[in-house]
Amino acid sequence: MLIENMKMAFSAIRANKMRSFLTMLGIIIGIGSVISIVSIGDTMRNMFEGLYREIGVTQAYLAIGYWVDDVRQSDYFTLDEMERIKEIFGDEIAYIDSRPYVSADAVSGRTTIKFSFNGIDYNYQEVQPVNMVYGRYLNEGDILGRRKNVVMDTDSAMNLFGVENAVGRTFRTTLYGTTEEYTVVGIYRKKLSPFQAMMMGANTEGGEAFLPYTILTWPNDYFYAMRIYAKDEATMDEFYNRLKHYVAKSKGRAPEDFRLNSAKDEMGQMDSMMGGLAAAVGGIAAISLLVGGIGIMNIMLVSVTERTREIGIRKSLGARTRDVMVQFLTESAILSACGGIVGILLGGGLVMIGGSLLGVQAIVKPSVVVLAVGFSAMVGIFFGIYPASKAAKKDPIEALRYE
Amino acid sequence: MKLWNHRKTEDLGGGWLPGKPGRKFRAGGIIPKLTAAWADRRGKIPGLPGYITENISEELIRLEDLVKIYDTGALKVLGLKRINLTIHRGEFVAIMGQSGSGKSTLMNILGCLDRPSMGHYYLDGVDVAAMGPDELSLIRNRKIGFVFQSFNLISRTSALKNVELPMTYARKGKRFREQRARVLLERVGLGKRAEHMPNELSGGQRQRVAIARALANEPPLLLADEPTGNLDTAASVEIMELFSQLHKEGTTVVVVTHEEEIAAFTERIIRFRDGMVVSDQPNMPRKPRQEKTGSAGMPGQGNTAVPEGEEEPC
Repeated sequence: MLIENMKMAFSAIRANKMRSFLTMLGIIIGIGSVISIVSIGDTMRNMFEGLYREIGVTQAYLAIGYWVDDVRQSDYFTLDEMERIKEIFGDEIAYIDSRPYVSADAVSGRTTIKFSFNGIDYNYQEVQPVNMVYGRYLNEGDILGRRKNVVMDTDSAMNLFGVENAVGRTFRTTLYGTTEEYTVVGIYRKKLSPFQAMMMGANTEGGEAFLPYTILTWPNDYFYAMRIYAKDEATMDEFYNRLKHYVAKSKGRAPEDFRLNSAKDEMGQMDSMMGGLAAAVGGIAAISLLVGGIGIMNIMLVSVTERTREIGIRKSLGARTRDVMVQFLTESAILSACGGIVGILLGGGLVMIGGSLLGVQAIVKPSVVVLAVGFSAMVGIFFGIYPASKAAKKDPIEALRYE
Repeated sequence: MKLWNHRKTEDLGGGWLPGKPGRKFRAGGIIPKLTAAWADRRGKIPGLPGYITENISEELIRLEDLVKIYDTGALKVLGLKRINLTIHRGEFVAIMGQSGSGKSTLMNILGCLDRPSMGHYYLDGVDVAAMGPDELSLIRNRKIGFVFQSFNLISRTSALKNVELPMTYARKGKRFREQRARVLLERVGLGKRAEHMPNELSGGQRQRVAIARALANEPPLLLADEPTGNLDTAASVEIMELFSQLHKEGTTVVVVTHEEEIAAFTERIIRFRDGMVVSDQPNMPRKPRQEKTGSAGMPGQGNTAVPEGEEEPC
């Protein structure tokens, strides 16, 4: 009987192709926009998650909270304190440094370029691997001996020296008021996703380089924050909490006074924000689905009136109220579901095409697709109920007399 | 009232109370709903619905004090005035009368499309006067085959599918439906036109499809409302010949008409005027009619169809 009803519905839909298509269009646009918005949201979330994975989700900064008014010098850190933390939590810390970051002009011959210097420990390569193409990475000797060696990427080398392989070349820069000569010991190539490359473009002006953190942070220096990578992602929250308590206690402060933001937390915030945004915009798009549903109801009412006589004939042949009701409900549900399927193909297709143009892995979740088809069929059934019950309630005599 | 004692209509009926039309009373309340639901469930069981008793009576239709009141708001019009009528199995009856005589009203009630305001209508031993819409649908499906003046085939649907429709509503299997529909179309002489759409058929052919459809569920009663009203003389004769043939095979045929020529084919003529039966007498089929139709050039199709039909066990 269901198959019979579906056949009848398809033949009725075919009988009025243009009308059926226009009715479907409402649903197509509604479902299409919902699918594309939700998929764009999912794609963005995936992209950001990828970015965070790249910088390392276990990464965290520990510093005195910006909300603390009476910040004392003792709230900052020294290398001694960092060493102590390394000793105590050594098993759980993959990497720690004083996060020194300096911007200065690098001079090589006649070329002067703005450079960002990132002070690192020798094992930074373990937590933030880079693809070395020439020379070597900074080693323990560079760090302990405070050697003025740097590692930079190919773009920076190109900008400063005009060649990619700048190993052994030197440049001058002024850090904290002291002008010194620095030697390039290694060159790495940046690995950018097509999307990142598009967003950032090639670095044609400035430069950036890694150098030993011991050059930028001296034993008697106070520094503002520590950069930490936890070893284990699973237990990192608990570990960071313990670390915060320890640091706060050693500084004579409440744990709440310290800020310890992990990349994972940030990622979670970003994710929920993006998710919320996508849901809100998707909700607005869903309103167009409502409009599509009203279109279906309208056309079904017309159809019921047009086919009054058919309803009368069917009733005279023994169709029960429910048979007629189901027949028209099937028709509106199929009308709507077809629109939904086309909408998914359209919306999903657009997202896929857009994604491949941008070089981004577009994500159209199957669950969203199933939900959308189900929802469009529900819209069809919901907005079909009134016309169908109107059809089912028709008096057979009146209906048979209808011209 | 010996065998139709299965249900007591009196239990349901406000129908006997004066000034209180039974229909209104029956339309609401819990009892009809329950019985409808019950019938609904029972109807799904293969075979006959549970409320139908084995009926060995010769009476197929029995009307007792049947009254139909049309309530037009301002005034009430008496459509049928206490009709008492019995039609036996295997009869070929014409119901005649001018328009407004009440014959259409009676036709609607006989066809279970409408319900009487008062009185009883026993169809195949069951009082259908008190039934709800879905029960009536079931009765129409199983007990009545309709043939209408305007054919009432469903457009954009092949002759075959049209004939299958009552069987679809009887929840018959797909293969069975198709086989039987082909047999029926063969029987009315349209075996080769099964796949044709109604608009590709002539009036006479359409009406024959309608007759095949009416026979789909082997109903005991074939009810034709002006079946030749939209047909020319030759096609009219063909159709009436077909009815005669069906009658000879044992089907009860009731034809509502206002044409004497059509009524002449039947064996009993009941005349209506002003909502009452004014005459009810046997009719001797007249030979001259057939001669006349013979000269009008009766197509062979109608004739060949009949022997074919006889072979089919229906």
